[in-house]
Amino acid sequence: MEILVCLKQVPDDSVEIHLKPGTEEVNLDGVTPVVNAFDTYALEMATRLKEAVGGSITAITVGPEKARDAVKTCLAVGANQGYVISDPTFEDADTLGRSKILAAAIRKLEADAGKPFDLIFCGREATDRASGQLGPQLAEALGTGVIVDLVDIEQTDAGICAKQETEEGYRKVESALPCVVTVNKPAYDPRYPTIKSKMAARKMAIPVLSAADLDSVEPGKPTAHVVKVFEPAKRQAGVKINEETAAESAIKAVDMMAAAKLL
Amino acid sequence: MSYLISEAAQDLLGDVKDFCENEVKEPCKEFDRSGEWPKEIYDQAIEMQLQTLEVPEEYGGPGLSRVDVAALFEEMAKADAGFATTISASGLGMKPVLIAGNEAQKKRACQLIMDGGFGAFCLTEPGAGSDASAGKTTAVKDGDSYILNGRKCFITNGGVASFYCVTAMTDKSAGVKGMSMFFIEAGTPGLSTGHEEDKMGIRTSNTCDVVLDDCRIPASNLLGAEGQGFTIAMKTLDQARAWMGCIATGIAQRAMEEAIAYGKERVQFGKPILKNQALQFKVADMAIKIETARQMVAHALTLMDQGLPCSKESAIAKCYASDIAMEVASEAIQMFGGYGYSREYPVEKLLRDAKIFQIFEGTNEVQRIVVANNTIGKF
Repeated sequence: MEILVCLKQVPDDSVEIHLKPGTEEVNLDGVTPVVNAFDTYALEMATRLKEAVGGSITAITVGPEKARDAVKTCLAVGANQGYVISDPTFEDADTLGRSKILAAAIRKLEADAGKPFDLIFCGREATDRASGQLGPQLAEALGTGVIVDLVDIEQTDAGICAKQETEEGYRKVESALPCVVTVNKPAYDPRYPTIKSKMAARKMAIPVLSAADLDSVEPGKPTAHVVKVFEPAKRQAGVKINEETAAESAIKAVDMMAAAKLL
Repeated sequence: MSYLISEAAQDLLGDVKDFCENEVKEPCKEFDRSGEWPKEIYDQAIEMQLQTLEVPEEYGGPGLSRVDVAALFEEMAKADAGFATTISASGLGMKPVLIAGNEAQKKRACQLIMDGGFGAFCLTEPGAGSDASAGKTTAVKDGDSYILNGRKCFITNGGVASFYCVTAMTDKSAGVKGMSMFFIEAGTPGLSTGHEEDKMGIRTSNTCDVVLDDCRIPASNLLGAEGQGFTIAMKTLDQARAWMGCIATGIAQRAMEEAIAYGKERVQFGKPILKNQALQFKVADMAIKIETARQMVAHALTLMDQGLPCSKESAIAKCYASDIAMEVASEAIQMFGGYGYSREYPVEKLLRDAKIFQIFEGTNEVQRIVVANNTIGKF
């Protein structure tokens, strides 16, 4: 199975970040760039599928050339080859624009390889902007179906059967190939690279494709406009209810919620 | 400050850090209590191939410099010194083969490590500690075989190794010149493990007796020539000591980091205790000692990489790093106050872990003999 995994380099989301004082600029000084967590889940799921059914995984990212590090990371944990799609004209692209760039890059890679990708994996969202739109937009640009929020996948005779997480539980969804899927946190963690795979990944070439390498890609002007950038409000201290008995505490809690017109 | 390492090692450092932080540090707290050897953690470490770091590139290893590897070992030591000891002692077990073995022996030992095994070095005996030449284990040539009998003790990885490098007397009348070194694979009939130590520290590392009872091995398992065993063992320790300095430095670094974190949080007299210059000076002294130890380790390892003599430097690194690891861990407990003495906080474990580094792979008294001999010379 020919698999493509789209990934994004984002600031390390385990670090608390703030705006530069008096500005709307996010202070990312000293924050390490990492592969978006949901993309690492997507890669792990893709790698497990590849190990089960055979095939090859290509990892691509749209971003600055230094996003090569993110691709290199993926080459150590399952991806067989990787590309960075980078061009000064892509810098302002919003999610819709990026989906068009990715679609053009995918067509280019398919044409070069002489075979199409069967399955395209994305993370369900990026941990920096969290729009969650890229997967569906990419499917639209490619003209394929899309299944979002996967937590498991397996190959079937007709294509794939995916386990999708919903608000209420899980849903099994089948699709023919090609198809785009977006991945939520599965029941397993991404693997650690081995010393050998990491050293091998360091030696692999990661080509950079620019706008000139792609066929007539036009990301277009951003369709969404940022009105304001601000930090989330600090959570206010809660109210502790600690009556004599649990029953009395519950009654007081309900009374308070009723008084605040929450019930 | 830290080790100056290659880009490749920097890449690996991030992964090793993540692994140690997520999979080693917290779980090892519980294994420190139980004394159980945490097989699941070691299985994961083997999956990452952490045991292969010291394998030379021509035998499948990653081809890193020793200082590169030291940076990775220090990260492991910060998470749990017993874990780092297991990984490093595996390298120790491999060293006699790399020092004196023939091509086939080197290939075999390295392959066992690459396949996920650990090595063990068996020199110490109940009556032969610092006086390693007093060993009573014997090896008697019998046709194309040697038959070994004796008991080795305090063997790191003794119960979990895939192979052992064992010293035994082939000629009792010749003193140290009658000692030889043998390569024995686990599972060889006549080799078994005995008493397992219930240790004060590095409790996630396995330490036990290795018993040889009419253990017959092919004569081709002799490393080097008969009578070279003591020299091979001393060369092995010359190299291995710097690594123990590296792990001791990691313990000290962890102790300092814990002390700083606690000192910023703990408020007394209306301010964090680390606002007191008395405690800031403690931290400064910790940093001075740690950095000195680390750079001494790096110097010894660089000499080793260049094939230059390093007995004295390796001994200084081991001796100094383990002495300061004890001092820094003790001062960290002092900064934690009563909580530092409690097992609920992380620093008392560091003191327990640090102590062995003044003892094994040559006591610090033996290290001082090595340093003195190399400094004063014969007169």
